[in-house]
Amino acid sequence: MTTLKTACTALALIMPLTAAAEGVELTLWHMEQPPHRVARLQELIDAFNAGHDGVTVTQAPQNWGEIYAKAPAALAAGVGPDIMFVTPDFVPILKQVRDIPSVQEFVAEQDAKHDFIDSAVEAYSYQDGVWAVPLYNMAMNLWYRKGDLAEAGIEVPKTWAELQSAAETLSKDGVYGLGLPANKQLYTDQTVYSFMVNGGATEIYNADGSLRFDNPETVESYTTYTNLQKLSPPDSTSWTWGEAEACFISESCGMILQFSVITGYDTQGAGDPADLGVAPIPAASADDESNTIAYANAGLILSEDEAERAAAQDFLAFLLEPENYGRFLNMEPGLFMPLTATGAEAESFWTEPLTAKYREQIEQIIANSQNGQLFGFTSGRTFPSIAAISAQNLIAETLQDIVVRGNTPADAVAAGQALMVEAAAD
Amino acid sequence: MRGSTPLAIAFVAPALLLLAAILGWPLISAVVLSLQNIRAIGTGGELIGFDNYAEVLSDATFWRAGGISIVWVLANAVVQTILALITALALQQNFPGVRIARTWVILTWIVPTVVTVIIWRWLFSSSGGMINPLLMQLGVIERPIGFFNTPTTAMATLIFINSWRWFPFIALMMLAGLTRIPSDLYEAARLDGANSWRRFIRITWPLLAPTMGVLLVIGTLLSFNVFDIIWLLTSGGPAGGTRTLPVLIYETAFKSYNLSEAATISVLATVFLMGFALLATRYISKTEAQ
Repeated sequence: MTTLKTACTALALIMPLTAAAEGVELTLWHMEQPPHRVARLQELIDAFNAGHDGVTVTQAPQNWGEIYAKAPAALAAGVGPDIMFVTPDFVPILKQVRDIPSVQEFVAEQDAKHDFIDSAVEAYSYQDGVWAVPLYNMAMNLWYRKGDLAEAGIEVPKTWAELQSAAETLSKDGVYGLGLPANKQLYTDQTVYSFMVNGGATEIYNADGSLRFDNPETVESYTTYTNLQKLSPPDSTSWTWGEAEACFISESCGMILQFSVITGYDTQGAGDPADLGVAPIPAASADDESNTIAYANAGLILSEDEAERAAAQDFLAFLLEPENYGRFLNMEPGLFMPLTATGAEAESFWTEPLTAKYREQIEQIIANSQNGQLFGFTSGRTFPSIAAISAQNLIAETLQDIVVRGNTPADAVAAGQALMVEAAAD
Repeated sequence: MRGSTPLAIAFVAPALLLLAAILGWPLISAVVLSLQNIRAIGTGGELIGFDNYAEVLSDATFWRAGGISIVWVLANAVVQTILALITALALQQNFPGVRIARTWVILTWIVPTVVTVIIWRWLFSSSGGMINPLLMQLGVIERPIGFFNTPTTAMATLIFINSWRWFPFIALMMLAGLTRIPSDLYEAARLDGANSWRRFIRITWPLLAPTMGVLLVIGTLLSFNVFDIIWLLTSGGPAGGTRTLPVLIYETAFKSYNLSEAATISVLATVFLMGFALLATRYISKTEAQ
């Protein structure tokens, strides 16, 4: 009997300890696979884990190529992550698989503290909720070499007409004036939309959810893009981001549209910050303001457990703190831009060597990103069908209809609208 | 012997059941999925009978992808057979270094697909690649061309790359077939005054035919199902010009988020391939018997 009592007492003493030791475990999925990004994120995770007893965050890097199939399957099987870094178009897909609670209050709290760029919150605000916490921004820019432009006697292009003229002037033996992709791929969606957003074709949807892709502004944007694309290398119909960046770094392309070329330019190219130029995407005319496409990546909390959701919010709040936020963004210096006012001023952001070296360019990217928009996530006109439209790269397919099949922009845009309607109806 | 039959079945049964489960379960699952209207993975659906089949069979995209698949399979079969036969005949000869050549010929086959894709993508690039300058120096072209620029050139380039990857494997299979041909047949033909061409036509070709028949069936099934090289190089483009059925299945499932329709295309493709394999096997058996 004494033995039994002793055993029960020992068990009673051990049990609370065991529960405390178990704590909250969070799995983070993200698609920032390059080793230096994983390493930087791990430093931040270690710092968070060390400062939060009973909470353990573990990262599990994923592949962009697989994630659209893997994440819904994992969620359906109940083995998905607790937090995931996502782009806006991914959220409607995951919302189909799982009921994701709104994080409106938490985002409002962080907004009051750090002041988010409005369009970043807007991209996740629809259907009476805010579904993810904006974390880092990527905005499309026009990249050029200052020396090339000076040598050719041309100014940095600010309008479509100037861009056409500059690209023609820079085109010479072995050099393509402007590298623009025409692949049926996300990069092409992004570059084409960069023109659409400057040509008055920002909205894909009407307020009632019907599609308004087929309009004169879209046709004009495609016409301009197609004319410029003729000055690109012949294999640009199969380009993704890497080929465009390589074309620019190897000086085979005079100008390109890209989120950032800083790391590649510094490590594999000339590495001269005085010569690297970055400008806003040219506007349709001199009277228009320049706009661009911007992806506000965000942290999506998928766990349904209250304690885990609270811990996940703590982790995301930790990342947004200025002393951590700069280090977080600099997991890829020059690519990930701040989405908060406090982040844009954070010392932790500007003290990174590469960021400091290319400060002029990065300040320009941040300025450009202020006018960032994302197709299907503008003016609160967000409908679930954008996930299918985006995943099928229908904006890029419309361009291929012109560039590869030789259809007119008007016919291609009409056909593109039909494809979008079909995707939306499915 | 008769008494041991139940024991033999008992020994074989677990393996057969395991095989049936591994092969049968995904197939049954695909058929069930094709009769439902499930969109994204993890979402629910209802039984809708054969609606998906009617939809797919009346869709021009499906038939176009089927046609492209047939072109892909036939072109790969022709190119790979020619290259493999030439290689196998060369490796059959005795020349210094033949053993090393026989070993290293499979190098292209053991290189990971993603490495193959990266190598060829850059070689064919019109800004920095090596093929364009080479062709320009030889006077074949005047300015760089885009090998993946049009559906026709993209398909031809893909067939070349896929054949480059696979022909050594087929060559080794053919070489194995060639070594089984008795050397005294060649000796007798030589004594009868038959030249190299006649020896090839009268001895090598007929006796290698059964091996080539089997390789044709296996090669067709493998070529038909190639997805990685096509997806990594062209993603089925440009303008759907290299969108074979496996690419269409992937796009339908994970781009259009129509899992049931993708399963329907898979089932139809499986039926087609099984039909082809049965007919081809029967034809080969019949030919061998004759």
